[in-house]
Amino acid sequence: MELFADYTLRMVALGSATLGLVSGALGSFAVLRGQSLLGDAISHAALPGIALAFLLTGSKVPLVLMLGAALAGWLATLAVMGVTQATRVPYDSALGIALSVFFGVGLVLLTFIQKQPNANQAGLETFLFGQAAALVHQDVLTMAGLGALALLGLAVAWKEFKLLAFDAAFGASLGLPMRRLDVLLTSLLVLAIVIGLQTVGVVLMSAMLVAPAAAARQWTDRLGRMVLLAMFFGATAGMSGAFLSSRVERLPTGPTIVLCVSAIVLVSLLLAPNRGLLWRGVRAWRNGRRLRGEAVLLNLYALAVHHDRRDHPHERGVLDAMSPEGPTGPALRKLAARGLVRQVDATRWALTPQGWHRAAQLARERSIAAGPATDGEAAP
Amino acid sequence: MAIVGPNGAGKTTFIKALLDLVPRAAGQVRIFGAPYAERRHLVAYVPQRGSVDWDFPTNVLDVVMMGLYGRLGWFRRPGRAERAQAMQALDQVGMTAFATRQISQLSGGQQQRVFLARALVQDAQIYLMDEPFQGVDATTERAIIELLRTLRAQGKTVLVVHHDLQTVPEYFDQVMLLNVYKIASGPVENVFTEDNLRLTYGGRVGFLRTRPKVEG
Repeated sequence: MELFADYTLRMVALGSATLGLVSGALGSFAVLRGQSLLGDAISHAALPGIALAFLLTGSKVPLVLMLGAALAGWLATLAVMGVTQATRVPYDSALGIALSVFFGVGLVLLTFIQKQPNANQAGLETFLFGQAAALVHQDVLTMAGLGALALLGLAVAWKEFKLLAFDAAFGASLGLPMRRLDVLLTSLLVLAIVIGLQTVGVVLMSAMLVAPAAAARQWTDRLGRMVLLAMFFGATAGMSGAFLSSRVERLPTGPTIVLCVSAIVLVSLLLAPNRGLLWRGVRAWRNGRRLRGEAVLLNLYALAVHHDRRDHPHERGVLDAMSPEGPTGPALRKLAARGLVRQVDATRWALTPQGWHRAAQLARERSIAAGPATDGEAAP
Repeated sequence: MAIVGPNGAGKTTFIKALLDLVPRAAGQVRIFGAPYAERRHLVAYVPQRGSVDWDFPTNVLDVVMMGLYGRLGWFRRPGRAERAQAMQALDQVGMTAFATRQISQLSGGQQQRVFLARALVQDAQIYLMDEPFQGVDATTERAIIELLRTLRAQGKTVLVVHHDLQTVPEYFDQVMLLNVYKIASGPVENVFTEDNLRLTYGGRVGFLRTRPKVEG
């Protein structure tokens, strides 16, 4: 395949796909636990870690820098937890503080490094927005190794993590070590973030966590499928971003990947069955039309009962006046097409025998539904 | 046994402290003479249903099987046996028809019954229920009462955080009146008196006079 002929492109595509897979999986849990912003804080907080790791070791080996990033990200998470528990500062404020403090320190360190007469320092600033084109074999191997570790961890304690995300207090009442599981899952999240930093950068990394998960949630109601789908979306966005940026000159890979995943989110929000906006709009419109039709049918039925004749014809003007939604013409024509009413002359309509039965049935259902016997058991 | 008291009295905190979910200021929890940590498996917890996100991507059967996660142990996934147990628990609360239903499509009462089923699969000796009657429909209320009677007949202990004072004598044998401190605790006929209730609620229990007088 042409896509994989070029070494650089192959590395970029593989790296981006790995990143998408891992961040899709861990991001699903972050989103379900309401921790989307934690990912953003961790990724921003990783910057000083990267800078410090370089300052201390003078090395740009990916594993060293990622270790620094992970430690700093971890520290930021601990700071957020500590501040929320010890003070009355709310969670989101604590996140905001941690994010800006760590990121600020990171920028200061980065500027300091750039002013040093060390030729080796070139390229560290790419961690801000990522530079996928610089990915080499060693980077991709490191990403794949750490990513596999994160996914393995997720798979091993799958049901415990599910319980942690759904009902942690109940899990604790079962005797499961929920706090340690929380720490473990957050560590896996840190891992997922760290492996994406070089490609997407600290600023846009949280999009790779949140977007695939949010898109996947639209399409399924099962956790397992949601995670698999998020991984697929993440990997797809990674590959297409890599491919697009290699095709179009001066198109940065990281932001392009983020744009691709945003496109997936947009399509999912609009088109997904059940939860999609379009689907819900159509359902609301259909319900409205059905209810308007039924209302007209019931009005005809009420008039017919009043006149002791099932096929007694009535003026459309009367039906219009009985309908709060205005003219009943469209509804009558729809009912006629279903054989429930018929037009007697230019202005008058009557129930057909089938229409009478259907209306009588509806009237029975409605009177039952309005009676005292219901207890709200009908699901929405 | 019912635990009653005004809002903010600490009923939920009391239950959570029993379960080690919040730190205890003092005291220890003993279950049949042994520390709670050793007898955890004998205690089942039914949290307030508002405490979780009902839009979580899972279905009814899955939630009920969560009650078995503690016993299953690490690395093991629920299988056919667990599924059967969960279905049986759902049957006890009249929810078998909803087994594969996505949990966001449940009414409040149905959610409550799912939580009850999740506690039932634990096959515990002691059940701690936090406001199971809160905002449920008549069907669910009947189902819960039926369940409480069954559990009592099996010799189990059920602690229920309860709000409706009028139903206390009908539903419960024992009652504990709580308002920050324990006001009184014991058999309903001894403890559920106007004086004790006034101590608990601060004198706003006028409606109780319409209740048939309880033998003191």
